[in-house]
Amino acid sequence: MWTGELLHIHIAEAASYEMEELEQAELIAGKGIVGDRYFNGTGTYSPKPDVREVTLIEIEALDSMERGDPPFPGEKVKLRPIEHRRNLTTRGVPLNHLVGKRFRVGNVILKGGRLNFPCKYIEELLGIPIYTALINRSGLNCRIEKGGIIQRGDPIEVLPDIVPVKEPATSAHP
Amino acid sequence: MTARLIMKMKVAAVTHEPNNVRVYTLSHPLRDTLADPHPGAHVDVRTAGGQIRQYSLCGDPDDLSVYKIAIKREDSGRGGSRWFHDNLEVGDTVLVTTPRNNFALNLEAGRHILIAGGIGITPFIAMARRLARRNAQFTLHYCAKSSNAPFLAELRKICGDRLVTHFSDVPESRFHPADVLMNAPSDAHVYFCGPQKLTDAVKEATADWPEERVHFEVFAPTLDENFNPEPFDIVIGSSGKIIRVPANKSALELLRAEGFAMPSSCELGVCGSCVCTYRDGIVIHRDSILKVSERQDKMLVCVSRARVRVTLDL
Repeated sequence: MWTGELLHIHIAEAASYEMEELEQAELIAGKGIVGDRYFNGTGTYSPKPDVREVTLIEIEALDSMERGDPPFPGEKVKLRPIEHRRNLTTRGVPLNHLVGKRFRVGNVILKGGRLNFPCKYIEELLGIPIYTALINRSGLNCRIEKGGIIQRGDPIEVLPDIVPVKEPATSAHP
Repeated sequence: MTARLIMKMKVAAVTHEPNNVRVYTLSHPLRDTLADPHPGAHVDVRTAGGQIRQYSLCGDPDDLSVYKIAIKREDSGRGGSRWFHDNLEVGDTVLVTTPRNNFALNLEAGRHILIAGGIGITPFIAMARRLARRNAQFTLHYCAKSSNAPFLAELRKICGDRLVTHFSDVPESRFHPADVLMNAPSDAHVYFCGPQKLTDAVKEATADWPEERVHFEVFAPTLDENFNPEPFDIVIGSSGKIIRVPANKSALELLRAEGFAMPSSCELGVCGSCVCTYRDGIVIHRDSILKVSERQDKMLVCVSRARVRVTLDL
């Protein structure tokens, strides 16, 4: 079992706005991060309903891109946490394993929705060739199951699957 | 499509130039070094009411700690410049995009002929600085109403005798594009920015020049009062979906309504934000910036339309 850490929190109030770093943030279940474009309904993809209440990415993916690791050796790309446009930057969290899983960030509970995939829009916005480098490690889009306040440094842990409790089998003919 | 980041910049200083021009120095509260715009670039600036206006960067291109823009108050304009003059003060926050450059210098050119009219001088201040520092061969022709023109003192310092002024109140100094361009060497590039009349005159004088040696910047849409828009269909290349654009709507509006995240800015066909590649169809180009060669497969969906049908690379 692993325990990860929340390194950075970023929001942007509307599409294309520069991201802003927060020390702590308020997450509202079923909505998003207070002040963020997908909470406000002003994001680039807001008209397209999706599991995008909060988005996460691994610092390990950014480090790997900067080193130019395989699968794209030699293509070193520096993408700083304030630039990638995901809300939360994590360390030690295997995000690709969390699709459909519940996990805890501090006291908040998130549910992994779908893997994020890179878009050309962000490449144009930043003017950095990151599209290819982000394939398969572009992060995770999540729902907020239980809201609350998160802050930098919060621990991140996976939660056990909720197993529906089955009624004991009863016989119609005792 | 081209998208740009929107920054919250601070007004660090406001200075005044003749003819109701204010120069705003903009700094970024969190960044010491800004994106390198290269001379000729412009930014989009938003008013509190959401109007977007394009202004050329007119500061020193080697000083990336701030951007400078110059805004001439146009009382008969659409209201953007009035808002900035009346409301924007030192210490205020203003929304500014990262720069875009549709008017870049070609540093391979053997000679640069720069032609400015009125407030169209702004991009040339940064361009002249860059050219002067590189000891490039250039001449800046500045057409203005009188010697009480914005930035004249600064330009004299930058350009020395490479600045040629043409003032309306000095008839013998009148600007004649054909005379200036007649003996231009074959490796010269011409750049112009100014009122429609000047733009038309220089375009006419350079009509037989190769396209790649003629550069111009416009901040007003091409006037075409007789244009009669008709409905047409957009075919989405990736899905085959057909979207009908009625006569009273733009392609941009319909694409957005269908959920496409389309960037845009001026929505007048002059900034290039909404440029889109098309695969086939007859496009009625109504923008002011695409080169003839670019029009073979690109269109600005804010103003341009199509005959019957166009397939977009979306």
